[in-house]
Amino acid sequence: MQWKLFANLAETVGDRNVTVDVEDGATVGDALDALLAAHPTLEDDVLDEDGDLYDHIQLLHNGTNPFAEGDGLETPVAADDELALFPPVSGG
Amino acid sequence: MRVLGIVGAPDETVATLAEQFVEEFAAEGPTAHVTNLESSPADGAVPDRRGKSADATYGLSEDGHWTATGRERRVAEVLDDLAPDYEYVVLEGFPDATVPGIVVGDVEYAGEVLGTGSSTEDFDVSEVAADLRETEPYETLESLVDRIKGAEQAEQAGAIATFTGRVRAKEDADDEPTTFLEFEKYEGVAEQKMADISEELADRDGVIEVLLHHRSGVIEYGEDIVFVVVLAGHREEAFETVRDGINRLKDEVPIFKKEVTTDEEFWVHDRE
Repeated sequence: MQWKLFANLAETVGDRNVTVDVEDGATVGDALDALLAAHPTLEDDVLDEDGDLYDHIQLLHNGTNPFAEGDGLETPVAADDELALFPPVSGG
Repeated sequence: MRVLGIVGAPDETVATLAEQFVEEFAAEGPTAHVTNLESSPADGAVPDRRGKSADATYGLSEDGHWTATGRERRVAEVLDDLAPDYEYVVLEGFPDATVPGIVVGDVEYAGEVLGTGSSTEDFDVSEVAADLRETEPYETLESLVDRIKGAEQAEQAGAIATFTGRVRAKEDADDEPTTFLEFEKYEGVAEQKMADISEELADRDGVIEVLLHHRSGVIEYGEDIVFVVVLAGHREEAFETVRDGINRLKDEVPIFKKEVTTDEEFWVHDRE
């Protein structure tokens, strides 16, 4: 599936789009692990000292927030889903 | 409004393509054609009155046809003027324009390039037109205000409130001046989120319609970034909704701002 990265997260990785492969029955958490395994430098930007996502980092699954509208990191994902990871928004 | 730039050489090819696009767009809506008098003083063009004493001359006929000439007019000002009234502009011969465009021959173009080639046959007019429709529309405060006045229930509206966010040079007098801001948008999701916010705000009692527009890419000091326009029955709900509209846009819409000053560049969220 496709990860989209924004702002400094895209700069850390050197790319705005990252494709990861995960097994059938995978979750948002598995896709995040796959992203961080492929780009370990991203960990400092998105994970706190306990290995959890920082509160200020946002994750969207097909445009919606799985922590508000799904089962968080346990939300199942499909191969053609789009996931996004970004810092606090700063438009306007 | 959407603007298509056409630049390159030879001039005849550029002019022929411009005519083809004007025809394509005019079938859909009001279309303007702006030419560069330096590069294409074609037959039948607006007479060039530069150097004459008037600062602007307009020629009007009784049936409403008009021509105009004048001084001190820049592309950006012309586009801002056209935005409320035209759906398309074909902008011929301005390689520094930062609008989407096509390039004939070997010419540097400042905007997003939608197609390149060396002759008219190299361009599929309907394909380029379709790509142009996918780009961000050219909006101004006036084009949004004009549109909202056309809302179905406008007869119940006694108030329009607007907010314009622009690029500030300095927060404090002794700051390093900001040269430009660069905005990155989560394409698709940002637009959907703005549409959701507009719809929710427009559901309020007394609020008729809400328009939100945020520009992306590089925006220089002094230029406008974001607009919120509210059409409402009365001023109180108009003021309240315009404030909530910009606050929600800033809190919720996935858009990211990089600031470039004379000294450095940084992502704005890293400093807040």
